[in-house]
Amino acid sequence: MPDRILKGEAMIHFDNLGKAWPDGTKALSDISLHIPRGQFCVILGPSGAGKSTLLRAVNGLMHPTQGLVRIDGTALTHATQKQLRRRIAMIHQHFNLTSRLSVAANVLSGLLPVVSTPRALTGWFRSEHRRKACGLLQRVGLAPTHLKRRAGDLSGGQQQRVGIARAFMLDPEIVLADEPVASLDPKISRDILTLIRDAAREQNTTVLCSLHQIDLAREFGDRIVGMRDGKIVFDGTPAEFTDERVSALYHGAHWEDPPKKAEPEAAGFELAHV
Amino acid sequence: MQKPIPVPAPGSQVHWHLDAPYSLKHLLIIAAILIVLILTGQRTEMDKMVMMTTEAAGKLLGVADDSQVVRGLSRVATSMWPPVFGETEEISRLPEFKRDQLPFFAHVEVQERVEQRMNSETLQLEPHSESVEVLVKPVGYVVTVFIKMIETLEIALWGTIIAVILSAPLAYFAARNYSPNQASYTAARGFISLLRSAPELIVALFLVLAYGFGPIAGVLALGLHAAGFLGKFYAEDIENADKKPQEALEAIGAGKLKTLWYGVVPQVLPQYIAYTAYILDRNLRMATVIGLVGAGGIGQELKGRFDMFQYGHVMTILIAIFIFVFILDQLSARIRNKLI
Ligand SMILES: Nc1ncnc2c1ncn2[C@@H]1O[C@H](COP(=O)(O)OP(=O)(O)OP(=O)(O)O)[C@@H](O)[C@H]1O
Ligand SMILES: [Mg+2]
Repeated sequence: MPDRILKGEAMIHFDNLGKAWPDGTKALSDISLHIPRGQFCVILGPSGAGKSTLLRAVNGLMHPTQGLVRIDGTALTHATQKQLRRRIAMIHQHFNLTSRLSVAANVLSGLLPVVSTPRALTGWFRSEHRRKACGLLQRVGLAPTHLKRRAGDLSGGQQQRVGIARAFMLDPEIVLADEPVASLDPKISRDILTLIRDAAREQNTTVLCSLHQIDLAREFGDRIVGMRDGKIVFDGTPAEFTDERVSALYHGAHWEDPPKKAEPEAAGFELAHV
Repeated sequence: MQKPIPVPAPGSQVHWHLDAPYSLKHLLIIAAILIVLILTGQRTEMDKMVMMTTEAAGKLLGVADDSQVVRGLSRVATSMWPPVFGETEEISRLPEFKRDQLPFFAHVEVQERVEQRMNSETLQLEPHSESVEVLVKPVGYVVTVFIKMIETLEIALWGTIIAVILSAPLAYFAARNYSPNQASYTAARGFISLLRSAPELIVALFLVLAYGFGPIAGVLALGLHAAGFLGKFYAEDIENADKKPQEALEAIGAGKLKTLWYGVVPQVLPQYIAYTAYILDRNLRMATVIGLVGAGGIGQELKGRFDMFQYGHVMTILIAIFIFVFILDQLSARIRNKLI
């Protein structure tokens, strides 16, 4: 494991992030987390822990009620959101493809932030963009015959491949993957995560990925962050995420030592501040 | 042996119970409905209608001696029969007439025409016969009606096109999740309500004053009303569309218009086509009527003949409309089966 992935300069800063929904639910409280460039960071935690809420704070789909998110030093605000979003791709649990649109159009829609409106409305994308879409679809393991198929007609695994191709169209610096394999079988889940990890490594893309599968988290994560009730209760390497830690995370029982302070120290996540 | 699931003894449960299906409340509702029916029925003379219809049925069966309804209907029927298919024109009044180039199916006839004329010597009216050459077109009026029918179709088609063009931007501003702000939303919704609340026939009445007699008023009247309808339904579909693809595009900062185009429109397109087909169907029917106020199409022809007491011609038009609507029904049923 290259050291910079664990200790490198922070790409994403969560500074004392908090979120209270209007109904009073505290989805996040006082989250501080630094994620170095190029890291594959897995977020684990029981349902309702706030994993999705945390990911959605990164691209401004969710506005925190406290604290802020900084990306490469730039604070995410209404003013900067538009520019920052272009650098952040998202892969969704339910793929979120336009099901009645073709696979090709779905992948090309990943370019919409940079394509002129007339081009977008007529679907007349530049030939280099079309080539890029084909290249990515090949890369994620689809066949040329899939190009014209309706996205909704594909199997779940194939749809997620399209989702990945769409996410990588703009060469993102950050990929947010919210339970990208929650509805896929174990074999395909592994394939999909491999695709995301390999593509990310190649481009030194930072990945923030929430999962429900412990084994996959250990296998793919450079780092694992455990959340519970909107708080970080574990932060360390896969090796440190022992079975006791797992049961503590999901059942909330035997915490011998207060992890929030101990773990990051032990894992060496104290980061050089920018 | 199989054991039945035990039924709890009556009165034994505290938290769970199912009410009997009817109660006093239902009786009161039925009574209220009855009162409303009786009151409104009286004001709309439903009692008289039933009486007159029974009388008419009695007359037809030979039980009753007289029926106002039957008298009225038979008077109409006799004056409308037979329908007029042909047309004759006096050749002396046709400036462009060429004897060697007759229109299809047409022939020239000499007809005796008897007129009452004043004899200048006796100062009395005397029958005076004169032979005139006329051009007889045996299906001339059928052709005229057919051409008017085509015009009717065209009015309906363009009314629909105008409606689609107007309603697309209206729907964007009237969809709560796309409208730029509250003011534009309220304005768009208000405009849609205004368009929907104005019946085509009344709008056409005013548009005829603005644009003159003819199809322009008809097209606009149909288009404006349908734009309100389509705008409302398009907007509601945008609001109810699946949020997932929209969120995916919003997440990368695609912008509203592009998100709508890639995340919503493909999803709602089947419903849009269905609404538009319904509007086309409705416009085709309305286009036959809208001419009554002078807004072009077959209705205008009908009104003209009606006002000149040419009931034979009116009959031909009614037959044409019937055939037209019949074909339309067959076609739309077939197309609907194909689409679904
Ligand atoms: N729009 C919302 N309005 C109110 N409360 C919300 C909203 N979205 C999420 N929450 C609440 O915030 C908390 C965190 O939800 P979140 O979706 O982030 O959990 P999660 O860890 O992603 O769970 P899962 O693993 O089931 O996806 C939950 O208690 C949830 O009920
Ligand atoms: Mg979630």
